[in-house]
Amino acid sequence: MKKTMKAFAWTVCVVVLGMFTMACPKKPKPVTPEKIVTDTAPPVVPPPPTPPVEEKVENRDFVQEKPIQAETLPADIEELNRYAQSHGYIQDAFFEYNEAGLSADAQSALTSSANWLKGDGKAYSLLVEGHCDERGTEQYNLALGDKRAHTAKEYLATLGVDGSRIRTVSYGEERPFDPGHDESAWSKNRRAHLVIVGK
Amino acid sequence: MRKLLLLLFAALPLFAQTQITTTMDPSKAASILRVAIPQPEFTGTTFETINEPLFKPLTRDISMSGIFAIAPLPPNVAITPEVLQRINAQLLLKLAIRMEGDDFVVEARLTDTTGQTQFGKRYRGPLAALTRLAHMLASDLVRSLNGRPGPFLSQIGFASDRDGHWEIWLMDWDGGNQRAITHHGALSILPSWSPDNERMVYTSFARGTSDMYVINRRGGGRIRVATGLQLNTSATFSPVSNDIAFVGSVNGNPDIYIIKDDGSNRRRLTNSSTIESTPEWSPNGRQITFTSGRSGSPQIYVMDAEGANVRRISFEGDWNDDATWSPDGEQIAYTSRVNGRFQIRVANLITGESRILAGEGSNEQPTWSPDGKWLAFQSNRSGKWQIYRIRLDGTDIEQLTFTGENKDPDWSKKSD
Repeated sequence: MKKTMKAFAWTVCVVVLGMFTMACPKKPKPVTPEKIVTDTAPPVVPPPPTPPVEEKVENRDFVQEKPIQAETLPADIEELNRYAQSHGYIQDAFFEYNEAGLSADAQSALTSSANWLKGDGKAYSLLVEGHCDERGTEQYNLALGDKRAHTAKEYLATLGVDGSRIRTVSYGEERPFDPGHDESAWSKNRRAHLVIVGK
Repeated sequence: MRKLLLLLFAALPLFAQTQITTTMDPSKAASILRVAIPQPEFTGTTFETINEPLFKPLTRDISMSGIFAIAPLPPNVAITPEVLQRINAQLLLKLAIRMEGDDFVVEARLTDTTGQTQFGKRYRGPLAALTRLAHMLASDLVRSLNGRPGPFLSQIGFASDRDGHWEIWLMDWDGGNQRAITHHGALSILPSWSPDNERMVYTSFARGTSDMYVINRRGGGRIRVATGLQLNTSATFSPVSNDIAFVGSVNGNPDIYIIKDDGSNRRRLTNSSTIESTPEWSPNGRQITFTSGRSGSPQIYVMDAEGANVRRISFEGDWNDDATWSPDGEQIAYTSRVNGRFQIRVANLITGESRILAGEGSNEQPTWSPDGKWLAFQSNRSGKWQIYRIRLDGTDIEQLTFTGENKDPDWSKKSD
């Protein structure tokens, strides 16, 4: 069913395109008596009938020919977060061990995020989650995560994102991104995680 | 089924007890007394029925009391003064159990070698109350000897993820009777008892942010304490008032605050730009320990309950947290990192000396038994976080939880 629908859509597209190219040369042509004399043949030859199935045309060709003019963001909030993270529109800030200060990398991640939040993402509210690695103690890490989340929030605010759009929460070491027990896992778990929470 | 369970719990406090006599020479408490406990006499029930819920926990409590040791009896031998002498038993505990309707009536009698009654008491309760009855009898036996009850009726609160989410759970002192008292369906952690053992304060993320909640020990009467601050972690009841000390945060600056349990009269105790966490009251309510990162690494500090006279009290270990006071106020136990691994450290506040209760894995969040003779703590030595109990001298370690992961133990402050 999907296939026939697609084929039908292609047919419509090609017909419309054909009509467009057909109509174009007609309009602006300056008409002179000499040309009327020489142009005995019909001015435009109608295109051959469109073949019913356009198998040669692939999806990416269509995308290339007709680029999306305004980006449509996913409506589903979880999908939107995946989309915005994978496109780098919002980026998490990572921290050094037992530190809540922003490294140069963390600042650059938050700068990219701020640009999007002031631009295409300006309608959205943000939750900043503070996370820690497992090497500390649970209670102290909850406080450390709070400080990390707020440091990230404050930095976004100094870059012009309205602070009233940003909420923070600390999960301490309760929700690691990587369950491993080595520096590779720990470095991923020390973060301010940016989550789009809605408009 | 749910209704049936409710009925059983409702029936728990119904059993009555009758005092017979309680006379015991306190001078005998000096050394450990060997007590012989023959199989109970029973009518209307079977040994199989009462063994698991009553006899086993009773004998386990008595053997763990630190006051009694159990003298094993030879099988199938009539108990005579000669037999008792041969097994070096100074005391004999006889139990007689009979049925009255659905109730078990348990008569306990402790006699010395001359046959004189040292302790006697009758207990009554349904099947569901037999284990509690056993803990009560063991606690009474200890009290009859040294004037203070054993820890056998105390409860340990903790957090468990066994049902998919971290919720607040309770268990008996020996790990029995584990049951959830919260059902947030969201991260709920760090429970702490009220001094009357009736309520717990804890942190839950049920609203997507961390809030302070108070709930009664049977899971009812839950309220959210609106502090007006963020974080709301490490909440702990004052031992002498309705105040709750906790970590609150304004603009990413965690500090120690106090608030009344109705959310009124909030006061700020620390005022530092560094991280402050994990307050804990001294048993008399006059001082509060807490953790601060002001020196560069998390260390333990103590201050007056009004926030004055702050001084550092931990100097060993590069990460210290979770300080908790012994019931007599003379020692604190805390989590202390030694050679990259968290251990339980016990420090004497008067001499300043401290020692490590060594163990495998990471060991955190110690909490004292109400009689001050035990600590419970969490360890990941098995590969998962579980709760363990250890005697203060480092002996008799026992794992109390086995299902899912379990952490944040907090031992009730009263023995009963």
